Amino acid sequence: MKHKFLLPLLLVTLSSCNTNAFVLQKQGFLFNTPGIVLKLFEGEEKNLQDVYDILSYYDRLSDNYLARDISNVYTINQTNDEVTVEPGLYQLLQTSISVSEVAKNYNALCGSLSKKWKESLAKKEVLSQTVIDEELNKMNLTSISFLDDNKVKRSGESEIDLGGIAKGYALDKTLDYLQENELKHYLLNAGSSSILLGEKTSDNGFFTIQLEEIPSKFLKLKNCFISTSSISKQGVKIGDTTYSHIINPSNGSAINVNDAVIVVTQSGYLGDALSTSMMNNTIEEIEILESTLDVKTIVIKNKAIIHNTIEE
Amino acid sequence: MDKRKVIRNDLILILSLLVVAAVALILTTVLSKRENLTAKIIVKNEVVEVIDLSQKEERDYIIDGINGKLKVHTHNGGIAVTESNCPHQDCVNMGYVYQTNRPIICAYNAVYIVIEGASSTDVII
Repeated sequence: MKHKFLLPLLLVTLSSCNTNAFVLQKQGFLFNTPGIVLKLFEGEEKNLQDVYDILSYYDRLSDNYLARDISNVYTINQTNDEVTVEPGLYQLLQTSISVSEVAKNYNALCGSLSKKWKESLAKKEVLSQTVIDEELNKMNLTSISFLDDNKVKRSGESEIDLGGIAKGYALDKTLDYLQENELKHYLLNAGSSSILLGEKTSDNGFFTIQLEEIPSKFLKLKNCFISTSSISKQGVKIGDTTYSHIINPSNGSAINVNDAVIVVTQSGYLGDALSTSMMNNTIEEIEILESTLDVKTIVIKNKAIIHNTIEE
Repeated sequence: MDKRKVIRNDLILILSLLVVAAVALILTTVLSKRENLTAKIIVKNEVVEVIDLSQKEERDYIIDGINGKLKVHTHNGGIAVTESNCPHQDCVNMGYVYQTNRPIICAYNAVYIVIEGASSTDVII
């Protein structure tokens, strides 16, 4: 062998030791969640800020606890009058209504019932059946009308809560932005319940995902949304029963059928709505949804995976 | 020089380089995991503390959340919330965290604690 090949060989060999990768990173507090982590493995600081701004925009629109600088869900919940909203909120509200056609256990109008459960569980008390029945009745009598010129009108007393799909919907919009700007290497974690994956710059583009419920379990995924719902995140144990922040809109219960559901999709809002809804679905119902929609799921109960189509 | 001897020496050199590269790769991976870990404590969008966990120093930090105070403790390269006024106590119940991508979150106080550094896991769900 000619010695002139040795230097390039040495450089190539040693360069394999360099595992550092370019990354732009931003952490933040959005959607009432402190764990927002945005990572771009290419692009510029402006791209990262644009992504953050898109998420921030939908955070302000979907807030049902505070008035913000623009008309938002809180504004609509304060009145039964017509409210002119941003086109972004108009479309988000329409999406929230339409997605409940497939995600039967997701209902954007269960805001008042959810708040009552949260207040009750914060005091370590189970919400009374009387209050549940009252709130369910209110919810079933409430509707949203979509009028011209981005006007919406809430009829009824129950509040709107877009917490079940807002993060996923916002990630859908960031994906549009990333594709328009030809960026494909990113990991956008909107608080672990909603994640958008592009391609990693190594490992053939696959990211390694560890399951918190089952730490020995890892998934290899890329170019998808991951939506997760779990009782371990905000569940409250009273006696032997764990009560969830996810409310079943058909009976008002905060006791979920499953302990955690992970949904992998090509649509953020659909994944979010389905992971919420599937917490109260049987495996047979989940299999029907998988066969009709382009989704894959993992269902966890009692610290064990009882259904897994993500790795098929 | 004998041609066969030259080839043998070249092979020895190449193998030596590969061994050196492999050892360097293992060392950089292990050392970066063990020694470059820092914990960031973020309240809303503001980083309020950056703690070098490689010092393995045992120390308490009092963090002002949006609804009250939390006591954060570092010990033997890990970090935990040991006291919080939040109703669910999820952050306290998480115990000590030693690895990246496993944040401690106190939603009630808008506090987010994350360890940063090298890791083979990109995200925990």
